[in-house]
Amino acid sequence: MIGSAADIAQQIREGARSAAAVLAECKALIAARDPDLNCFTARTFERAEREAAAIDDSCGQGKPLPPLAGVPYAVKNLFDVEGMVTLAGAKINAANAPAAADATIVARMSRAGAILVGALNMEELAYGFLTENPHYGTTRNPHDRTRGAGGSSGGSAAAVGAGMLPITLGSDTSGSIRVPASLCGVFGLKPTYGRLPRSGTYPFVNSFDHVGPFANSVLGLALSYDAMQGPDPADSACAQRAIEPVGASLSLPRGIRVGILGGWFHEWADPTARRSVQMVAAALGATEWTELKSAEVARAAAYIVTGAEGGALHRPRLIERYEDFGPSSRSRLVAGGLIPASWVIQAQRVRQHAYREAMELFEHFDLLIAAAAPAIAPHVGQETLLINGRSIPVKAGLGVLTQPISCIGLPVCAVPVWPGGDSPVERALPVGVQLIGAPWREDVCIAAARTLEQAGIAKVRAPSAP
Amino acid sequence: MTESPDNPLEAYVRAALALQGYRFDDAEIAEIVVQFSRLEAIARTIFDSPLPFASAPAPVFRP
Repeated sequence: MIGSAADIAQQIREGARSAAAVLAECKALIAARDPDLNCFTARTFERAEREAAAIDDSCGQGKPLPPLAGVPYAVKNLFDVEGMVTLAGAKINAANAPAAADATIVARMSRAGAILVGALNMEELAYGFLTENPHYGTTRNPHDRTRGAGGSSGGSAAAVGAGMLPITLGSDTSGSIRVPASLCGVFGLKPTYGRLPRSGTYPFVNSFDHVGPFANSVLGLALSYDAMQGPDPADSACAQRAIEPVGASLSLPRGIRVGILGGWFHEWADPTARRSVQMVAAALGATEWTELKSAEVARAAAYIVTGAEGGALHRPRLIERYEDFGPSSRSRLVAGGLIPASWVIQAQRVRQHAYREAMELFEHFDLLIAAAAPAIAPHVGQETLLINGRSIPVKAGLGVLTQPISCIGLPVCAVPVWPGGDSPVERALPVGVQLIGAPWREDVCIAAARTLEQAGIAKVRAPSAP
Repeated sequence: MTESPDNPLEAYVRAALALQGYRFDDAEIAEIVVQFSRLEAIARTIFDSPLPFASAPAPVFRP
């Protein structure tokens, strides 16, 4: 397992290791572990060697090093990387011109000293909660190769879960950071909608698209999040807020009020997911249940807006190159593009209403908790999930607990919890928990995650043997 | 698949596809009808959502 981002950066800062040595270790881990997981779609080792050499030069000259100096990372392949084609998991993009510049947050990671080692697999066009990509293959779960990594940022979560990288970047429209983080047993952060700029990323649903980090430690999550913060006028949805760093203080305020989300979030959590929530609730001293009554309609609203925006976005290519889209996404995208305007307007009204209801909850609570996925990772190719006696298609059902939250833009830290159980499968696999904050209170989510990490409740485990 | 006046959902899909410039064969249209029927089923949960009359949609344009 590669170390944490904070440990790596400290070792390099203190001269105990060079950035080149860390990169060599990372490359060896990727060579050993990626072939049976299929996390990477491209490797950027030449760039990585240049960036590592620059860090080692600075270190040798006694210059102050940035916070992520020498820390290797990789990005979901919908982020622009200068000189590379931005695939977004799609064959239709394969012949596009290479990106002229890095995405804003990739450039910010570089400025923070991080070393980019590659681009990572994802669900085609980010439309779905699996990473069973018809063009670039399936990303498998590092804790059970017969199971999926989740998606759409499956490569990003699995690369951290497999111990290849301490940090990766992904995107989350309806759960695409939180679901794979949950299934692969890693930390993931979906910040408040508008917190991190999406400029230079391949869009899917402008109303809901978020970007954020995965990490093998809470401090790594915080350091990368801090490095990526700040306004960017190139993204019209990016809030023009000053940087509000969280890495310097990860202490949870005394007397924090934590509510356990019942109703929809309990009904759609199977016994393993419920055990994860109970473990987190006990560790945070949470005993009070509450309910977001609009959860079901917020999920429906997200579904409708997603279909409409995704369908409209891709209409020209669907008309010209329908056969080049994957079979499971093309008919869904076309159908979404036919949604009547009145449904979309109603969905956006529902969304605003659900947001206001959530704000009323935050008058009584500082943090809300719910499972991040309804169950452990499904098998590759599995088509349905059975949750408390109800069947739901895997591709949409894995996001049943995340979609209502991203619909209203709340910040969430997904933490890896290992709920155990009677069977060896249950004992081997995680179900993550969402730590949901009020808008712009990522600090509370991350501090709670740190508390759980220190208590041994939230942790990244070594991957299983192939 | 043939167009059926008894199935308003399929008729809508066929008309909307034509309006948007899509040209598909019947097998492809059948797949799209299945997907649209799933969207319609989910949309039904928000049709009658009890919202205040003046409830505003979420997106706000900021020039």
